[in-house]
Amino acid sequence: MLSVEALKIRYGEVEAVRRVDLTVDSGEIIALVGANGAGKSSTLGAVAGLVPVASGKVIFDGVDITGLTPEAIARKGVALVPEGRRIFASLTVADNLRLGGAVHQPVAEARLREEEMLELFPILRRYYRVKGGNLSGGEQQMLAIARALMGKPRMILLDEPSLGLAPQLIDTVFDLIAELRRKGLTILLVEQNVALALEIADRAVVLANGEVVLSGTAKELASSDLVRQAYLGA
Amino acid sequence: MPSLYRLHRAALCAAVFGIAAISTASAEEIIIGAATAQTGGLAPYDQPALAGLRMSLDELNAKGGLGGKYTVKLLIKDTRSDTAQTATVAQELIDAGAKIMITPCDADPSISAGQLTQPLGIPTLTLCGSAPVLTGAVGDVMFGTYPADNVQATAVADFAVSEGRKKVFLLTSPDSTYTANLPEYFGKVFEKKGGAVVGRGTFSMGQPDFSAEITNIKGLADKPDLIMTAAYEPDFPAFIQQLRGAGVTIPVYGADAIGTPTIKALGKLVDGVVYTAAGYAEPGSKLEAFNAAFTKYAGHAPESTYEVNGYEIGLILDQAVKTAGSDDPKAVRDAIAGLKDFEGITGKITYAGTDRMPLRPVALMRYEGGEGKHVQTLIPDAADVPAP
Amino acid sequence: MIAQQIINAVSLGGVYALLALGLAIVFSIVGLINFAHGELMTLSGYALLASLVLGFPFPVAVLVAVSCGALAAVAMERIAFRPMRGASVTSLLLTSFAVSSLLKVVFQNGISARPQAVAMPGWMTGAFSFGDFTIGVGPSISIVVSALALIALEVFLRRSVTGTAMRAAAEDFDVVRLMGIPASRIIATAFLLSGLLAGLAAMLWVAQRASVDPLMGFTPVLKAFIAAVVGGLGSLPGAVAGGFLLGVIEVLLQATLPGAIAPYRDAIVLSGVIAVLLVRPQGLIPAVRAQRS
Repeated sequence: MLSVEALKIRYGEVEAVRRVDLTVDSGEIIALVGANGAGKSSTLGAVAGLVPVASGKVIFDGVDITGLTPEAIARKGVALVPEGRRIFASLTVADNLRLGGAVHQPVAEARLREEEMLELFPILRRYYRVKGGNLSGGEQQMLAIARALMGKPRMILLDEPSLGLAPQLIDTVFDLIAELRRKGLTILLVEQNVALALEIADRAVVLANGEVVLSGTAKELASSDLVRQAYLGA
Repeated sequence: MPSLYRLHRAALCAAVFGIAAISTASAEEIIIGAATAQTGGLAPYDQPALAGLRMSLDELNAKGGLGGKYTVKLLIKDTRSDTAQTATVAQELIDAGAKIMITPCDADPSISAGQLTQPLGIPTLTLCGSAPVLTGAVGDVMFGTYPADNVQATAVADFAVSEGRKKVFLLTSPDSTYTANLPEYFGKVFEKKGGAVVGRGTFSMGQPDFSAEITNIKGLADKPDLIMTAAYEPDFPAFIQQLRGAGVTIPVYGADAIGTPTIKALGKLVDGVVYTAAGYAEPGSKLEAFNAAFTKYAGHAPESTYEVNGYEIGLILDQAVKTAGSDDPKAVRDAIAGLKDFEGITGKITYAGTDRMPLRPVALMRYEGGEGKHVQTLIPDAADVPAP
Repeated sequence: MIAQQIINAVSLGGVYALLALGLAIVFSIVGLINFAHGELMTLSGYALLASLVLGFPFPVAVLVAVSCGALAAVAMERIAFRPMRGASVTSLLLTSFAVSSLLKVVFQNGISARPQAVAMPGWMTGAFSFGDFTIGVGPSISIVVSALALIALEVFLRRSVTGTAMRAAAEDFDVVRLMGIPASRIIATAFLLSGLLAGLAAMLWVAQRASVDPLMGFTPVLKAFIAAVVGGLGSLPGAVAGGFLLGVIEVLLQATLPGAIAPYRDAIVLSGVIAVLLVRPQGLIPAVRAQRS
């Protein structure tokens, strides 16, 4: 469904990503793991169109989307849930959801979609008229995911969904990710918590210094020495 | 309206080429520097005056130049209506060899240019700056050409008293000598002749809102029967629009700076407003003939009497050079200062015995139905005119 | 007297609020203080004049003039600012100064340096009274128009998707784009709204001043800038609050300062601005911005 080929990203003189190749098949969860600064978020940003690509290609559904604007890529069915959630703090939960489904579908459909989201995240129904900024971190993460789902994406890019959340909330979020996958959504997950990521993912790609150092099924990686030593603390 | 600026530039080019053609024949050339506003707030005053001056210089050049022998080369630089910029361009004009300097229609930039010309003894004439303090602030090279503020104010006051007005409100702005002092001169004459000043207000030039001042006028215990101001564009239209908009019908009088097409075009709004001019074109008068000639020269009728005033500057310079018999700045200066009963277009102009602000007639005008109507022309009694 | 001055203050404050809002809307989206905002007003003023000269009925002329302001704002974005997208704040600021100067010169040389009289219809120079209390038609129109414009803008920003997106974009533009909402649409709408506000403000301004001149936009844009900064740059409620505050202070000082101190009026107002910013550096009602790591 998505393939990234020989991706290179530069910020000025700094090469944040030297070479990343990866593919995501329909219905899969792929985890992109690695240390801070390995180039995970930059890769996601490049796929979503937020980060300019120096060279290489991003293909979605057989179409080259390299260099398209974020809005064009979103309209093709790729939704990014950015790191730090970045919900609109001064807007109500309702308005946050509304923007998520604003341009992809007719109003009536967006209503239905919103109702689905409120079923999926009952907490959001409770705080429907509350400003996003007043929600707790976990609630904001729910909102951010729900907002991304409003546009009925076929693929969702999750950037560090566990960051800054309390342990029990992390479980809730990961349960939810598993459920989304069951519903047929394709997911590219960036996560620092490697153990968690490998638990939920089908396959994983390990990045270090802007390059792919290892890839394979989640099981293979979980048992590889390199991953165990470097990321799982074993 | 076609672009004034482009028209002027075309005329300037023509003038320069004309001069070039003649100057090969006559060896003597005199450079006149004009530091005047082509842009900004003073441009609406400087440009018409400059057009009049240029017309007279063109005519004089066709007859051999000033005094019949000094072909004029007129150098014009834009002051952008800025006092500091005026000094800068005046210096450039001096460096280019100007022997006579023309300065903008306002005291402050004229004084800043005069500071430079005074030590060099270069005769300096303001286009239509009318503050009587102007010449004293610079020194003996500085000449006014337009009827001075205190003279104009006296004429308006004489008229207001003759109409039976008793109580005046004075609206001034400290931002320029003209707007600050002219209404006060009026107040002095008005009080001396039995009237009373019942209130004073101030505004800043460019101020958007006069409502507070107008509410103060409405709240005066002693109701004025006249408001006197020297506000001009764009403050005068704003003031009178808001004054009438607040339901105040007290008449408003001003002076020469509101004798412009812009104010006239305000139509009914300015009905009854009295202002001054340097002259009035009665049928058969020299001024009427000038207006016709100017229309032919410039392609449009004069907007006000600034054009004729500018034209008269050319005549004054011609006479002075003739009297001096040379283009020596000192001699030319002395000749201007000695002019007595010189026949201009609008009437007799006298510098002799004055502080280099000319004695000359003042025409009183009144707007009625979108037209400026002549009320009377007078030379105020010198004894009534308040000291600067 | 006091009631009258309050009306004066509200009337002036309303115009300042419209102007400050125009600046704030664009700033909140693209981080640009558009100093050419004043020239949009000037342009609307000339458009009004031209429409009246062409013999359009007054309401039509006003409509044409306001639309001209709005279209000019959109065109300005297309021609001058879009190529600069992504440039630094300083470059954007300089571009806006350049556009402003350019337009002033175009007005001066293409039309006239002289102010042009705009004859307002007679009914605008009247007043109606309640007992011994008179209100001018001019200030009343100012108050009503600014109030309606503020309400309409509020409704637009709250109810419509584009309005909601604009509020969101003020916080975090990138994420709005991630929702599939085109950046150009948001930016164009911001300029359109700021142009509409400039056009409306120009109508009120010209109605009170009865003339248009090439430099007409300078004072209002300066006042709007002050109001927007005092209110909190980029904050729309702040811009409105700042506008009204500035109007109240100016009228208050004009009404009460003795003649000898009157020339220092602007200095006093600006000192007040500094005082406000010392106490509240982010302005009265600071803008919400996304905290990014």
